[in-house]
Amino acid sequence: MTVILELEHVVKRFGGLVATNDMSFEVAKGESVGLIGPNGAGKTTIFSLIMGEHKADSGSIRLHGEELTKLATHKRIRRGVARTYQVPRPFADMDVLANIEVGLMPDSIMAMIFTAPADEEARAIARSVGLNDADLHRDPAELSMGDLRKLELARTLATKPEVMLLDEVFAGLTAGEIEQISGLLNEKRQEGMTYVIVSHDLRSLEPLIDRAIAMTQGTFVCQGDYATVMSDEAVRMAYLGH
Amino acid sequence: MSTQITWKHLALWALFLGGMALLPMLVGKGTLRTIIFANYLAIFAMSWDVLSGRTGYISFGHPFLIGIGAYTTAILSYRFDVPVGISIPVAVIVTMAAGTLFFLPALRIKGTYFALVTLAFMELMYQLVQVIRPDLTGGTRGISGVQTLTRGAVNGYYLSLALMGVIAISLWAMMKTRLGTALSAIGMNEEAVEGSGLNTTKLKLFAFMVGAGVAGIGGAFYVHYLGSIAPRALFDINFLFTIIVAALIGGASTIIGPMAGAFFLTFLLEYLRPFLPGAERYFIYGSIALILYMYEPKGLYEILRKARERLTGANA
Amino acid sequence: MSQILIQGLLLSGLYALIAIGFTLIFSVGRVLNLAYGAYLMLGGYAYFWVVQTMHMPKLLGILVAIGVGVLAGLLKHRLIVKPLKSDPVAVEIATLILAVVIQAGVVLVFNDSAKIMHPIVNGVWRVGGATVTYNILTATIASWVILIGLYYFVRKTHVGRAISAVSMDVKGAAISGINPDRINMITWGLSGALGAIAGVFFASYTQLSPSMWVAPLIIAVAVVIVGGIGSIIGTLIVAHIIGFMEIISTTLVAAELRGVFTMLLIIVVLVMMPKGLFGRGEL
Repeated sequence: MTVILELEHVVKRFGGLVATNDMSFEVAKGESVGLIGPNGAGKTTIFSLIMGEHKADSGSIRLHGEELTKLATHKRIRRGVARTYQVPRPFADMDVLANIEVGLMPDSIMAMIFTAPADEEARAIARSVGLNDADLHRDPAELSMGDLRKLELARTLATKPEVMLLDEVFAGLTAGEIEQISGLLNEKRQEGMTYVIVSHDLRSLEPLIDRAIAMTQGTFVCQGDYATVMSDEAVRMAYLGH
Repeated sequence: MSTQITWKHLALWALFLGGMALLPMLVGKGTLRTIIFANYLAIFAMSWDVLSGRTGYISFGHPFLIGIGAYTTAILSYRFDVPVGISIPVAVIVTMAAGTLFFLPALRIKGTYFALVTLAFMELMYQLVQVIRPDLTGGTRGISGVQTLTRGAVNGYYLSLALMGVIAISLWAMMKTRLGTALSAIGMNEEAVEGSGLNTTKLKLFAFMVGAGVAGIGGAFYVHYLGSIAPRALFDINFLFTIIVAALIGGASTIIGPMAGAFFLTFLLEYLRPFLPGAERYFIYGSIALILYMYEPKGLYEILRKARERLTGANA
Repeated sequence: MSQILIQGLLLSGLYALIAIGFTLIFSVGRVLNLAYGAYLMLGGYAYFWVVQTMHMPKLLGILVAIGVGVLAGLLKHRLIVKPLKSDPVAVEIATLILAVVIQAGVVLVFNDSAKIMHPIVNGVWRVGGATVTYNILTATIASWVILIGLYYFVRKTHVGRAISAVSMDVKGAAISGINPDRINMITWGLSGALGAIAGVFFASYTQLSPSMWVAPLIIAVAVVIVGGIGSIIGTLIVAHIIGFMEIISTTLVAAELRGVFTMLLIIVVLVMMPKGLFGRGEL
């Protein structure tokens, strides 16, 4: 088992609030980990810290053993980690295809000017997440929540990540859409994708993950397989208050 | 978004510029001078649009950049007898350097605050120009007798048309590429662009440099067309207003929009002249601009596009 | 030295009065109203018209000025801010355009030459080698009275507390039964009134001209940016920082540089401390 993502003693404060309190965990290559905890537990903050949208106050975040904490967000993406957001915010005035194409762009001004858009590749990614060809030239505003999540996944996949951090992928979806997205994630998992997933929908989350990490108030509680974590005294305390 | 450049596009450009080139045979000198102003205004509006229309970093200090270009070449050529062939390129480079200065706040702040910093830059420049080294800047009165590049309205017109044409086509071609898409994407959701693995700092800096470069070219040639320069005419909210409104009224984030806006504006002001001889024209003009902006913040371009969509029923 | 102290206090009082209406809108509506300077201009011209053209009492002039300011504020809220859904950048652009329209409107009605306004209160007061006009003294006292009144209005009255609640947390206020839209409207009206009064005093301190709105706008912007909080006390403190800075630079450095330091302060504070000296918070 090779470790791909490691957090070590990561601390983040917002003013007086400790959002992340000495968090440490590891994720192995090809593993799927669920990050669970009540509202405000600091799950999304962990994602922001891994992506560099917020800077950790102390501690270490490593991908393939390489320290990420000093890198800008776009560099972390290039190292192979990407995230989705609870509320999808696509590029509103671009059609679906152009949205995906942004993820495929080279990070060089010259290359951006002199290379043609990778429409074919974008189309292939769109198909792989189950977007219809007919939707490719629509504006994001016309899409259903399910298709917006798919677009979000497609945009993220376009950056060719090895680790994907998925934030509330099932929020606002119908049962049918949840099934679709789950199937899709499972498919990518067979191909070797590593996931860290945050979801309130534990029933949909359970079959997708190998292991769960529970946290509350920014602090690590316990980890293990889903059933073990859910029967843990401290987890029940944090979730249910008894 | 990034549709390919086709012969149809090139033919339209050729038609447009060709038509413009015939104008001196059709209209009088007075109208021609008006169009010269419209051409320069179009350059300024396009420059504003590269910087603000695309990336969404609204600049309220654009006259600052134009002024730097104009003053640099005016001072070099008038006070130090530097040939125009050198002073103009130097002015453009200095303006681009100033564009970098402009860029620094954009690293930390955006939205309304960025707009305010740029406004402060402009006001700062207005006051500094009058008091720091008035022997060079000419103080409040500015500099007159700057060398002009052309004689007569017709030549001035062709020079301004050539400049506008070259700038418009270059920017248009550049914005047709993935770079243009990426810059517009920053305006829509900067975090997502960074999250797509693109260095937004680099992209913004590039947009600022290009915007500043164009402002510098426009400012420098404009001062060599007018032959004079004064701080109140340049670093002025009315001038800023004219530039922004030209870009917005036509349609931000396009090339044709700021050009169309500049022409619309110039002619509106010109045709109001007989009825309202003074600055009151700005009342009508500003009201039209305000109503249009309230109705469709993306400008005439978007209104026409929507109308066409409705007429053809197609979802272009 | 006493000269600097007195001049500084007087100017700062006026600046606080100029900035307070702008601050109010910023903390409640979260938008920067760039047409704020135009309230001052409208107030000044309205007073001028009533008192110096129509030869009516000064008090009536002030009342008319306030009425015009309230009307301008309410119209702006109704016709511009609400339709733009308080999008800060769109409001900023639209209010900038509006300011130019109002400027042109003033030229249309009053022509574009500057007008001298008679002092609201005549006479001078000599103190410690300094000469102080009763006019500016009245402006400063009025400014303090208005600021203290506003402070108690926000703390003690029902409407004032609702305004303060909206400035802290719009959603929270809405849940507790406050109609944020109504509060916003009241605030815009109030801001217009404050701007108009400030305009009367500002015009009597300088002069009336169609471009007179720029300078007070810059001062108001500087106060909000440097102070950051948009609070009444913060406004007062920062108005004094800027007022004294201008007086000191005018008397000790060079008169032409008075505005330069204000601009530099705006730029430096925005870039170094985007949240302002005191952070951003509620009213």
